[in-house]
Amino acid sequence: MSANILAFSAVAALAIASGIGVIAFRNAIYSALSLIVNLLSLALFYLILNGMFIAAAQVLIYAGAIMVLFLFVVTMLSSDKAALQTADHISWQRLVGVIAGIIFAALASFLLLIHAQIAPDAVAQGSNNLFTQISAPGSGNTETFGMALFHGFLFPFEVTSAIIVAAILGAVVLGRRSRAKSED
Amino acid sequence: MAVSLNSYLIVSAILFSIGVIGVLVRRNPLVIFMSIELMLNAVNLTFMAFANALGSVDGWIFVFLSLTVAAAEVVVGLAIIVAIFRTRKEIDIDEMNTLKG
Repeated sequence: MSANILAFSAVAALAIASGIGVIAFRNAIYSALSLIVNLLSLALFYLILNGMFIAAAQVLIYAGAIMVLFLFVVTMLSSDKAALQTADHISWQRLVGVIAGIIFAALASFLLLIHAQIAPDAVAQGSNNLFTQISAPGSGNTETFGMALFHGFLFPFEVTSAIIVAAILGAVVLGRRSRAKSED
Repeated sequence: MAVSLNSYLIVSAILFSIGVIGVLVRRNPLVIFMSIELMLNAVNLTFMAFANALGSVDGWIFVFLSLTVAAAEVVVGLAIIVAIFRTRKEIDIDEMNTLKG
């Protein structure tokens, strides 16, 4: 067993175990912490797959920004434990959900195992493009990414700023207390 | 010997299915939201695996843009959950069956 396969198996086991932890823990705090482990193991996957800049961005954006927001809201909302322990209205929900999910996993794995393959000319087409080569001679990983982002994908990158402005405005509008309530 | 593309795709399918089970089974909207993040990241893993297999950077760009959209989505989603909790004083997804104010 080579080192590559050993590393892949260890990270895959970590990712799947922490993913199961996200949906299995009763306390939402433990779910959030388990999701952080899952996101970090995906960053390790990206390192194995030669995506160093994306691995760093995954750690910074997800584990650094998004999960802090999650933990903040979880601690803010779960202050009273009684609200979390409500009665189960749909008794068959858990069983049917798990069965449907397992069927979905089996079908997806089967189809990926049988039918997922790369067309023979796709690799040649990908390396024809000047800005989208992973191993362009004499350029580092981040430099390749930056060249692709700012030359081939400049317009999507600029549209992203509009999405972020819309999200900020939406959060401000939703987070503000309504005027009728604040007057009295 | 390198790890094949299919093994990455199958790990990604398993993670996506865990997210699906989480959305179907759990009743805490925060945990459902985390399961959605799990599914987003599973798809990101397929993008990275295909980018590595094809020798192209396009998959990285997709992952980068999806990271940005996920950050925006989390901001708006958590704001909605906090707003619902502020008015309803409960966070059971089965009780939130009316979407009027």
